[in-house]
Amino acid sequence: MKIAVCIKRVPDSETRVKIGADGKSLDEAGVKFALNPYDEFAVEEGLRRKEKAGAGEVAVICLGPAAAQETIRTALAMGADRGVLLQADKVPMDGFETAKLLAAELKEGDWDLILFGKMAIDDYNHQVGPLVAELLGLPCVTAVAHLEIDGTKGVAEREVEGGIEVVEFPLPAVLTADKGLNEPRYPALKGIMAAKKKPLEVKPVQPGAGAIEVLVLMLPPERKEGKIVGEGAGAVVELVRLLREEAKVL
Amino acid sequence: MAERFVPARYQPPLPLEKLILQDGSEGAGDRMELDVLIVGAGPAGLACAIELAKLAKVGGTELNIGVLEKAEALGEHSLSGAVVNPRAFRELFPELKDADFPFRAPVAREAVYLLTAGGRWRLPTPPTMHNKGCYVASLCEIVRWLGAKAEEAGVNVFTGFPAAQLLVRGQAVAGVRTAAAGLDRDGGRTASSMVPNDLVAKVTALAEGTRGLLAQAWCQWQGVSSNNPQLFALGVKELWETKQPLDRVIHTMGWPLPSDAFGGSFVYPLDPHLIALGLVVGLDYKDAGLDVHVLLQRLKQHPLLRPLLAGGEMIEWGAKTIPEGGFYSLPQRRAGDGVVLLGDAAGFVDVPSLKGIHYAMQSGMFAARVIFRTLKGAVGAELMEYDGMVNTSYIAKDLYRTRNMRLAFRDGFYLGGLQAALMTLTGGRFPNEPYRMPADAEVARRSGEPPDGKLTFSKVDAVFKSGNATRDTIPSHLIVGRDVPAEVARFYAHMCPAGVYEVAADGLRVNAPNCVDCKATDVLGPRWTPREGGSGPKYKRM
Amino acid sequence: MTTVLAVLEQRDGALRKISHEVVTGARRLADALGGSAMVEAVVCASGPVGNSAQAGSFGADKIVTLTNAGFAKYAPEGYAQAIAERAQRGEGGYRALVFAASATGKDLAPRVAAKLGVGVAADITDIAVDGGAIVVTRPVYAGKALLKARVAAQPAVLSLRPNVFTPVERPKAGAAETVAVTVPPGRVTVREVKAAPAGTLDVAEAQIIISGGRGLKEPANFKVIEELAKAFGGRAAVGASRAVVDAGWRAHSDQVGQTGKTVSPTLYIAVGISGAIQHLAGMRTSKVIVAINKDKDAPIFKVADYGVVGDLFEIVPRLTEEIRKLHG
Repeated sequence: MKIAVCIKRVPDSETRVKIGADGKSLDEAGVKFALNPYDEFAVEEGLRRKEKAGAGEVAVICLGPAAAQETIRTALAMGADRGVLLQADKVPMDGFETAKLLAAELKEGDWDLILFGKMAIDDYNHQVGPLVAELLGLPCVTAVAHLEIDGTKGVAEREVEGGIEVVEFPLPAVLTADKGLNEPRYPALKGIMAAKKKPLEVKPVQPGAGAIEVLVLMLPPERKEGKIVGEGAGAVVELVRLLREEAKVL
Repeated sequence: MAERFVPARYQPPLPLEKLILQDGSEGAGDRMELDVLIVGAGPAGLACAIELAKLAKVGGTELNIGVLEKAEALGEHSLSGAVVNPRAFRELFPELKDADFPFRAPVAREAVYLLTAGGRWRLPTPPTMHNKGCYVASLCEIVRWLGAKAEEAGVNVFTGFPAAQLLVRGQAVAGVRTAAAGLDRDGGRTASSMVPNDLVAKVTALAEGTRGLLAQAWCQWQGVSSNNPQLFALGVKELWETKQPLDRVIHTMGWPLPSDAFGGSFVYPLDPHLIALGLVVGLDYKDAGLDVHVLLQRLKQHPLLRPLLAGGEMIEWGAKTIPEGGFYSLPQRRAGDGVVLLGDAAGFVDVPSLKGIHYAMQSGMFAARVIFRTLKGAVGAELMEYDGMVNTSYIAKDLYRTRNMRLAFRDGFYLGGLQAALMTLTGGRFPNEPYRMPADAEVARRSGEPPDGKLTFSKVDAVFKSGNATRDTIPSHLIVGRDVPAEVARFYAHMCPAGVYEVAADGLRVNAPNCVDCKATDVLGPRWTPREGGSGPKYKRM
Repeated sequence: MTTVLAVLEQRDGALRKISHEVVTGARRLADALGGSAMVEAVVCASGPVGNSAQAGSFGADKIVTLTNAGFAKYAPEGYAQAIAERAQRGEGGYRALVFAASATGKDLAPRVAAKLGVGVAADITDIAVDGGAIVVTRPVYAGKALLKARVAAQPAVLSLRPNVFTPVERPKAGAAETVAVTVPPGRVTVREVKAAPAGTLDVAEAQIIISGGRGLKEPANFKVIEELAKAFGGRAAVGASRAVVDAGWRAHSDQVGQTGKTVSPTLYIAVGISGAIQHLAGMRTSKVIVAINKDKDAPIFKVADYGVVGDLFEIVPRLTEEIRKLHG
């Protein structure tokens, strides 16, 4: 099975956000970067499908700066066979620009499956997978939490409000992975050593400016001091009112 | 008279049978063979690896060098003040200049204060603490920098792999077995769990840092003793972004420590608005209620510090023990069949000058040279030469000069201070005999405003700032003694800076995931064992 | 005539409530664009959508139902094509398309956007117009920062974060129209929507978490929490404090702890949890924290946005009642 997995290098989920000097981006000093957690599910799924099929290849593709090679090596250490870095200093804010570059790289690949994480934890954009699928003219299912494949037919389950959507699709296809699809493996010691020797191609690319332009990156308003709403069951009505009107969570 | 108890009575012994394993025992997944295995990617381990790689390159040989690190990424378990003596860096990288090293700023000005509850006395800087020529640095940044150099030199650095057991063949050390990962709370395997791996090598360098588990195990197994048991201090440290600038390195003594506890604080500017500050207290303190974290919170309210921190933000918190015993606590030998002990794991720390990083690196470099000679099969070369190199170097010389200084404080601050002053004045000739010390856990013990979340913080908030995100379902890695009475449970609760121990209605509660691997528990209470790689704190610039 | 296209969602022939938010957002944008810009609501279905007129009360000038026999359930490719074609008709086309960032919207919006040759300004929490340009605000880095961006795409494709654009009644004409559309059969088909197995709402993914602690006194009393969770209609998960899990009252999978990797809930209600030594980092990134505890000095009140002091056995059932009324 020929499987491509598109991954992204993102700031670690524990990152403490500091605004950079330009007021538009993250201050990267001291920030630890990692493989996007949702992409881990995608890499793991790719490896399992290849192992199940008995033969094939899992290639990992990443759009990112030079440092993203380390991210690709993480996927190689898990077991992917080769990696491609589409090198660009800045990952565009406009997902469509990213999608165009990835689609161009994937176009001639004759892939059985192209996997993505459903979203990146830095921008929560949730779109590059389906954008790429459209550009390649391939069927696509997003946010897959459970997957069965039988030959060239697949059944995916995805969470929707109030239930689970069961979706049928043909291969080849683009799928985006959600939490629960699998438990990603820990890279083994031997895998970490082997990763250093696996092929990693670096191709410089020029993303277009895109149609979404960042104006300002700012910290959210300070969390206000909490307040005791009242005592006993009598305070409940006021609590609910505040949750509805002030906090807007109901 | 107040009740007393001795913590050692409630402390389980070192689980030696679990720590020493015959090579070839089943239970491991992968088996990897290396030329040299280094346990711990701190300054000692990385300096050793870099020096070895250099020697191999110059000698035209290829050495397969592996470094195991329990943290998920380099530096995440590294914590120190720190003010660094650059000499080891200069020797390891003769082609580089000081400006190339991962230091923040040279120490320009310093001040030492004796604090009282509301005031301070400026003291002349003790000769042992002069830091001219030294640099303020973050150990995390040093480790990441050294790690990059090591990888460039072809060293394999494996992060996320704690060494849990020593593999032995007869009386020789053959390597280590790593900890399992992904186990559930009861120790059972889960879908994604990882079995332990065996790494075997011709020489294993134990550079596990303070209270290294396998170093302890090896010494006990081989009957390697020392004049005094190793002593430890607990340091709790915070990193602050401040509105007010700081232009000098500060050390304090006195308040808020009780007079029968040894220790002091440090305040170091990594840059004028990025301050590292911490409180270090010897673990032989007598008051069972002493809580280093709480004392640090109190310290910050002193007029010397409060204005400095006003309007600032605490961005990181952490804790770590420091081996304090000095010269007389060094193991009689630090090399054996197939093994060497480096850095803090061997006790190479000079407390009066608060230095350990350059000793750690130097010990790693000495070990590398000896290891290289033995691997090459040079006639007569043996690992024991490493002891000789250390003993004739400035490491031993410096530690010998201050050999009794910390120990004098066994008798309390004032008496100790007097004795320490005498030692300084006589250049180490007073006293002539070593002070005899009991192990911290053998010292009998006697049986505070809520934090405001801006200047002072609870342990819960503090652990959050250490970056600790250990999964809650991890099996507990701490070995607790049976029948821990309430007063001892309370003592544990105060001792642990991370809030691992709590006194509940039904006895001692252990919140193991909170643990930041400072090792205070291993010194005074429940034994520490490694847990799955990546657990514990994630220090960034500590 | 500047028009904003609001893409609504239906299930089983009726508009889903989230559609009100979409119309509200579209109306807000249209009003900001000025010049009597219009809102056209569009929904894909296999037949008439019973309550589609609701769109009018929230500000839609026109409501168009795109019908096709295969549109009863969500048909990703068919819906995308129908909506994209609708968006491309007419002189000037549409200024913007507005979707909900719901499970369906997150799947549909990118497909439509790609057909229109643009990306999606996703998960936005505010829309404005500045000098004729559409400016959106959205959370990034898991809510740790906010981003303001100008969307120059034509048309602009936007998706709204759920629960943010509180529906506002702005009655407009709401002229209804039905258009039958033909689309090729899709390769991706939704076979069914099955009920999520009871109690499997992952604490880590839930929008609302209600956690019980030692204050509940015994395991059986968790019932009180479960009732409250039920009142939220499937959006809420029952969590447990570490103490309670250690005591064996609840399963480990229920534990809400400090593992910061989990997605944070919009609302976290801590019942009978003191918040002492236990690690609260996991819940700290919740949007709103409510604490119910009988001890007014309990540390949890320092972390909570709203607190109620008193007997949880009186407070929680009352809260359950009020929530039921709200959702009824």
